[in-house]
Amino acid sequence: MNGDDEGVVGAPIGDDAMFSDGGSVDDPRRPPARAGKAPAAGGEQMDVEAYAALYTGRTKVARLLFIAERCGNEGMQLEALRMVHDEIKRGEDSHLYAEVVAKIGGRLGSQYDFDQTWVDTVDRRAELRKEKLENELSAYKTNMIKESIRMGYNDLADFYYSHGQLGDAFKNYVRTRDYCTTSKHIIQMCLNIILVSIELGQFMHVSNYVSKAELTPEQLDSVTHAKLRCAAGLAYLETKKYKLAARKFLETGPELGNNYTDVIAPQDVATYGGLCALASFDRTELKNKVIDNINFRNFLELVPEVRELINDFYASRYASCLAYLENLKPNLLLDIHLHEHVETLYLEIRHKAIIQYTHPFISVDLHTMASAFKTSVAGLEKELEALITEDQIQARIDSHNKILYARHADQRNATFQRVLQTGMEFERDVRAMLLRANLIKHESMLKTTKKH
Amino acid sequence: MDSVEALVAHIQGLSGSPAEVAQLHSLLKQSEDTLRSQAARLAPFLPQLDPSAHTLGYLFLLEAYSSEPNLREQADIFVSIVVEFINSCSTEQIRLAPEKFISVCKSFKDQVMQLQVPMQGIAPLRMALRKIQTSSEQLTPLHPDYLTLCLLAKCYKAGLSVLNDDIFEVDQPRDLFLYCYYGGMINIGLKRFVKALECLHNVVTAPMTALNETAVEAYKKYILVSLILNGQVPSFPKYTSAAAHRNLKSYTQPYVDLANCYATGTFSEFEACIQTHLEKFQSDSNLGLVKQVLSSLYKRNIQRLTQTYLTLSLQDIANAVQLKTPKEAEMHVLRMIQDGEIFATINQKDGMVSFHEDPEQYKTCHMIEHIDSSIQRLMALSKKLSSLDEHISCDPAYLAKVSSPTTESTERKWSMEELSLWLVFSVIFYDSCFLNCVSFYLSSQFK
Amino acid sequence: MDLSPIQSALSSKSYSTLADTCDELMLQVASRGIAYQEEWPFDVHLLGHVFANDLNSARYLWKSIPQGIKESRPELVASWKIGQCLWTRDYAGVFDAIRGFEWSPEVVDLVTAFSENYTKKMFQLLNSAYSTISVGDVAHFLGMTEDNATNYALQQGWTLDSSSKMLTVKKPKMVAEQKLDPSKLQRLTEYVFHLEH
Repeated sequence: MNGDDEGVVGAPIGDDAMFSDGGSVDDPRRPPARAGKAPAAGGEQMDVEAYAALYTGRTKVARLLFIAERCGNEGMQLEALRMVHDEIKRGEDSHLYAEVVAKIGGRLGSQYDFDQTWVDTVDRRAELRKEKLENELSAYKTNMIKESIRMGYNDLADFYYSHGQLGDAFKNYVRTRDYCTTSKHIIQMCLNIILVSIELGQFMHVSNYVSKAELTPEQLDSVTHAKLRCAAGLAYLETKKYKLAARKFLETGPELGNNYTDVIAPQDVATYGGLCALASFDRTELKNKVIDNINFRNFLELVPEVRELINDFYASRYASCLAYLENLKPNLLLDIHLHEHVETLYLEIRHKAIIQYTHPFISVDLHTMASAFKTSVAGLEKELEALITEDQIQARIDSHNKILYARHADQRNATFQRVLQTGMEFERDVRAMLLRANLIKHESMLKTTKKH
Repeated sequence: MDSVEALVAHIQGLSGSPAEVAQLHSLLKQSEDTLRSQAARLAPFLPQLDPSAHTLGYLFLLEAYSSEPNLREQADIFVSIVVEFINSCSTEQIRLAPEKFISVCKSFKDQVMQLQVPMQGIAPLRMALRKIQTSSEQLTPLHPDYLTLCLLAKCYKAGLSVLNDDIFEVDQPRDLFLYCYYGGMINIGLKRFVKALECLHNVVTAPMTALNETAVEAYKKYILVSLILNGQVPSFPKYTSAAAHRNLKSYTQPYVDLANCYATGTFSEFEACIQTHLEKFQSDSNLGLVKQVLSSLYKRNIQRLTQTYLTLSLQDIANAVQLKTPKEAEMHVLRMIQDGEIFATINQKDGMVSFHEDPEQYKTCHMIEHIDSSIQRLMALSKKLSSLDEHISCDPAYLAKVSSPTTESTERKWSMEELSLWLVFSVIFYDSCFLNCVSFYLSSQFK
Repeated sequence: MDLSPIQSALSSKSYSTLADTCDELMLQVASRGIAYQEEWPFDVHLLGHVFANDLNSARYLWKSIPQGIKESRPELVASWKIGQCLWTRDYAGVFDAIRGFEWSPEVVDLVTAFSENYTKKMFQLLNSAYSTISVGDVAHFLGMTEDNATNYALQQGWTLDSSSKMLTVKKPKMVAEQKLDPSKLQRLTEYVFHLEH
């Protein structure tokens, strides 16, 4: 059913039309199977089909569009656009369709040109449906049956969503709130709003509604729980709170499976969670929450590189760890949520690796270290200099012999210095204070004499 | 004419005992107008009096004489008379009429400056200052005048003898502003930057209701000296007046910009910043100080290297600090070693510098003496603080405001209620400056 | 003008207090309104500051001297040259300034004493600042010829590597006093007492 990526667990839910390969039309012009794989600059080229197969719904479209925009490789771009086109044509969003066709610009042949008839049909259908829904809603409102009104708003919101009018969708989902009677309704509403907010990039709403959903009195089922964890993690990731994001992703239960592919794939949970954890956890937390985390292991199985690189890091095999990271980088830069954090996370991980490397030793030969970190000795010196200045490493560099020596501060000296310094400051401050007190006494005396 | 002669006779007659002198004093006070009206003709009478025996009388005459409008023409005569007077006058007698003495000295200073011989006035003013002071901790109106003369005559070291005394009693806040500002300038001239910073800090944080020029000029120098010493400008402490908080920065914008530029640490940007505001610095006579800030930037960057490296090549140092050649770097490092700013040895054979830790072991006799004297000074200051505390708590005006039910006058330990009450009433009754003083002291009690 | 305090300081070779004596006397003389500047021994005054390594005071003194006097007294100018080289850290220039002038009998002892002092101080500086240094530089800093400099250094225990013309520094043993006074115990008790009350 799906592409040959690493054993996707569980059957995807949703419409049949979600499947990317195969498709209903056999296009003779369609390039042979592994179209996305063009000769790559380095690392494994992303398999666009396989990647897209992990997702459903609007996120699939959004992700593919992002790839098309960023990949810089025409072959991949066209492959992505083609898949987007096919996907959209199965849906109802005519505006997005027009945009995509414009992007394709006729490069994929006549099949992918602007189909005015399709657009007109869809628009007409939309008009009719909208009218129907609105009428129904007014009818429900006069009848004042809460449940019907709720469903009415919900359907209207769904309609707007499928037509790409996200703002209106959001508004209508929010309106269902007043008519929710059970916890289930509330949760459904929250999940819908979260979905729309993620696409709109409004992650504050995401956090809000995750909290709202978690506050419902009824016990959440494990799938919903997992979904909410992922949503929260995404919100934290977006706001650069990597440690909190990592914790959320790591707490996601394996029940998530493929139940949330309209937002996030289980592979992403592994990748996002793993990288954030590496960049922000200390060794103990890394061991307890990632390596020994049985639940998370299920996710890591899906992305063996991430599993390997975490293990390498923990076992101090830094060259291997950094190599894995480099390989993953091009694909991560094409990920819609992670791309802007890749550099920061990578830098953090690299720094942590360097600090960890130097920690147990009294002296380290810079040549050996440079080759472990795949950099020149001069470059390594500069990196170390920055880390020492920020007091992340307590050491000093012997630039003549190219050795790093651990430095243990002389406590006795430091104490004496601090004492003398404090004494001086106290003296100075008390003197100034006595002077000021005198001045004020003088001023207040003037005031009292003026009064009398 | 008669009345002056009669007065002179009285002076000669009534300067024997303190009782006589008191009588003379009231006589003199009554004759002030007469003296003033005859100011122009008083000069010949002065030789008839002995400045040391008849100090009080001499003083009154002299003060009237100094108010004479055409004094400039007789300036050199006046000046030499005053010098003689100051050298021989009796301390007890001048303290009977201190304001007159000060007025005479101020005229003296004006004339000395007008004659453009500031050096002539330094020794006399120094003596005058010491005679009129009730204690070495008191600030007189003569202090700023004295420092002005030292600055004009370029006798900076002479200023130190007075500056080295700690001041705790001030009569006129205005005197303090000027005194501390000039004191800052003298210390800057002698490169005693720590002391300079203290002086300037006192000006900037002194209580004031509205900003004055001295404070603005002081703040400009304060920024520059802070940069040289510490590489950064501290924010205003809590006890700074509201006027200073709000307005000082807007009046000294070029300097604030310079400080921000310094923080980023690149020479080219800093030099560009200097160029932009060059005229302002020149017109404020601060260009020399600005240049010293620039060289401190080199020093600070080299010092940062000592924190990171054990050894570093001269070429790398030159690159890091943006010097042109390794030889230049070597000279910079040598200079810093000579001044005790870093601990290092240069290895010319390999072109390397090795940085060392501070070799001070804190075990020598010298160091023990140093620590010892620090502790003594601190104990003396603590005693002062306690006595101030007692004084305030006995102040009737203050006591009237405090209505704590559990005040136990014998017990010196403060309960939390008393503490909070006292703080509340301090805020109402006194300035927040004092509040900070009290809370500091009390918090140190609690530690 | 009575310059006897200065003269007695010179003859008793108490050079370190010379500058203070000059300063104080100058203030006293000035306060009497005498036009002292023509007769004042500025060169002695300046050299006093230089000897005490108080370059700030030397600079300010130089600035306050009238231009006419500066031009008419070559010895004064030569004295200032020494101070100037010290101020700009022209280490070798100091020696040139010292040797480049025929000093009058009044000040020649002062200058010689200063020169010896300076040489010793420079050597101490080199000792603490360098681990290896070229012979040329040592000669430069000590104002000697290369041979003299080498001999001097070897006498102080340094070693020479003649092929590369590098001298290796031998650091003297630092002995610092560490005896403790019984009066210190008294002081300690006082501190504790103070802290208790």
